[in-house]
Amino acid sequence: MIKKEYNNVLDFLEDPSFKNWAEQKNATDINYWEFWIANNPEKKELIEKAKDLTLGISFNKEIVSSEKVAFEWNRLESKIKATKRAPKGKLKYLKQLGIAASITFLISLGFYFINNTSKITHTTNYGEILNIKLQDGSDVTLNSNSSLSYYKNKSRKVWLTGEAFFQVDKKLSTNAKFWVLTDDLSVEVYGTSFNVNTKKKKTEVFLEEGNIWLKLKNGVEKKMIPGNYISYSSKQEKILEDKNIYNPTLKTSWKDGSLLFENLTLQNALEKIEETYGYSIMFEDDYSKNVLITGAVPNTNIEICLKAIEKSVGVKISKKNNTLIVSKK
Amino acid sequence: MNKLTDKFIWKSLKEGDLNAFSVLFETYYPQLHSYGLKISKDVTITEDTLQDFFLYIYEKRENLSDLDNIAPYLFTSYKRFLLNVIKKNKKIKYLDFTTETINDIQFTKEELIIEQETESFRNKNITKLLNKLPKRQKEVIYLKYYSGLKAAEISEIMDINYQSVINTLHKAIKSLKEEISILKLFK
Repeated sequence: MIKKEYNNVLDFLEDPSFKNWAEQKNATDINYWEFWIANNPEKKELIEKAKDLTLGISFNKEIVSSEKVAFEWNRLESKIKATKRAPKGKLKYLKQLGIAASITFLISLGFYFINNTSKITHTTNYGEILNIKLQDGSDVTLNSNSSLSYYKNKSRKVWLTGEAFFQVDKKLSTNAKFWVLTDDLSVEVYGTSFNVNTKKKKTEVFLEEGNIWLKLKNGVEKKMIPGNYISYSSKQEKILEDKNIYNPTLKTSWKDGSLLFENLTLQNALEKIEETYGYSIMFEDDYSKNVLITGAVPNTNIEICLKAIEKSVGVKISKKNNTLIVSKK
Repeated sequence: MNKLTDKFIWKSLKEGDLNAFSVLFETYYPQLHSYGLKISKDVTITEDTLQDFFLYIYEKRENLSDLDNIAPYLFTSYKRFLLNVIKKNKKIKYLDFTTETINDIQFTKEELIIEQETESFRNKNITKLLNKLPKRQKEVIYLKYYSGLKAAEISEIMDINYQSVINTLHKAIKSLKEEISILKLFK
């Protein structure tokens, strides 16, 4: 990331950490560059220049909507298909030509439809986390053993099984909504960040920032404000939990690669391990079931994860096929 | 789009792959739409020429040369395409353009993001200052900060070397900064 030689403006401009410093975005980068500048006073002028160019001018961009782009593409595509097929017709062929043209039109319509309805699906295995950038600019982090699908050109409506963290871009120009659909409910948003988890035959939604509306399968609508956590099951037709969570990282830390436990019994904590890595758990004694655990473990490396748990609560965990056997040390 | 996909999409387009062409269209249509509007200041002309331009690209696809980087090619040829149409329209007196207004980018007050502490009157002045800059400086600013192109791509579009892009940009930003600080003095 950080280059060793900085001799011209370009060297700075092409360094992402420099951009972070100029925009005062990332504490590590800010510290690094403050230190670097103090130690390289002769580069002051160059730095000033690069900073000016990096910050530049911010514009409210007026960008055409994706609906408009799709419409214009449809127009163009019919023209392409028409010029491709239309023969240099004489008058007596006019009828056939008319038929040919309407067939071409139907075909292009069909192509348009197929193109728009081809489904894109992202899936993850156990112990795998995937970062997805959707066409509209929204970011999705997909947790292990989960899947996210949407139709091409319609990435603002997604279907989720498993768990994902969403950072949805606001569409200022069109005010277009973003939907997440699960078996239990749909989440309707304009621009915000939130976590959705459908593991364990229910859907849990945790809102970190902004506002969202939930439409539960039983027809009830619920507005959520930051910090709200709701879990709903369509099978039981009821809200299982509705509370506030004051430490958001407890619900979202998985996206940064770790599972957080705060005063959980090992049994509860290992349920998370079950979900994440796809093992089933067996306890050999009551001590290992009920001992309390607090701390963070990695969610993409089972070896380190198990070692950390063994060390922090004094148990032994052995793997047998797809089962983890836990016993007191 | 990164370089690899650019190369791949361009190659597929040359082979007549309509899906690749649709990706190209969806990626660049919004940027070229804004660019066209800035040049022509007319929605109908912009959208009609974009249709004709993309159709032209598709029809000529077999004769197009290989490209590693699509953006500069599209921006340059679309601008040429659009200016030809505008000039033709001018001849038949369909539009009242003067040579100066063609291709002279104007920024509007609404397009500038207002900082919290900046008062609206000053924001209006920044727009004025921006619009007072020489034509080429405005275009470089537009391509860099509005279209989000890289300096190397801008140098290709405007047919000037990379260092000139940097210098032009810096000159523009510097004079803006100076004017703004003078404004602050008289506030």
